Amino acid sequence: MIPFAATIGVDRGKRGSLRLWIPLFLVWLLLLPLVLVLFPLAFVVGLWARINAFRLYGVVWRILSSLRNTLVEVTNDGVAFRLRVL
Amino acid sequence: MNENRRNILEMLGAGKINADEAERLLAALGDEAKASAAGGEVKTKAKYIHVTVDAENRDGKTPTKVNIRVPMQLLRSGVRLAGLIPAQARTHVEDAMRKNGVSLDLSQIRPENLEEIVDQLQDLTIDVDDDNAKVRIYAE
Repeated sequence: MIPFAATIGVDRGKRGSLRLWIPLFLVWLLLLPLVLVLFPLAFVVGLWARINAFRLYGVVWRILSSLRNTLVEVTNDGVAFRLRVL
Repeated sequence: MNENRRNILEMLGAGKINADEAERLLAALGDEAKASAAGGEVKTKAKYIHVTVDAENRDGKTPTKVNIRVPMQLLRSGVRLAGLIPAQARTHVEDAMRKNGVSLDLSQIRPENLEEIVDQLQDLTIDVDDDNAKVRIYAE
């Protein structure tokens, strides 16, 4: 299943911290009409470039699905940034 | 009969567990025995690739740390994307690689081969030590 949320945290020590919860499901919902509209175009382009559009969509879906539990943490100059896909 | 097996059977006899639970416990004991007979621990599949970087800034005071955890599944999906490279583009890639001394026929790479490569990454650990930075890549 594709990730439905992500969290972003920025910790600046004494200067305060910020935590954001990003509802990815809203992003997917917003993108869905665009994907549906673009599908015929992707199909035509796929035919021209000899790429199976169904396979391409399948692979993109797989990539999105496997993004779960991805974690990126960067600390520099006393500022810590953290991104986590839930 | 070892003590664990006897305990399970006694629990079954006393009605503390049912036959299904007893079977599962006995099967688990069997797996454990096989693993110990093989002389090793049970090897679990790695789920993530970790990339960690510990570096010092130019001023030498504030360290920079990077920790990235990428699911193995993402690598698997990524290599599947490579399988969608159109033939024309593949030729360009192969030519460019040949110019740099790497002779590789991308059409010969099958998804199952790529799966095998990703599976082999489980035993991978790369440590790079520099004066100012340490990079470590490992699977867990």
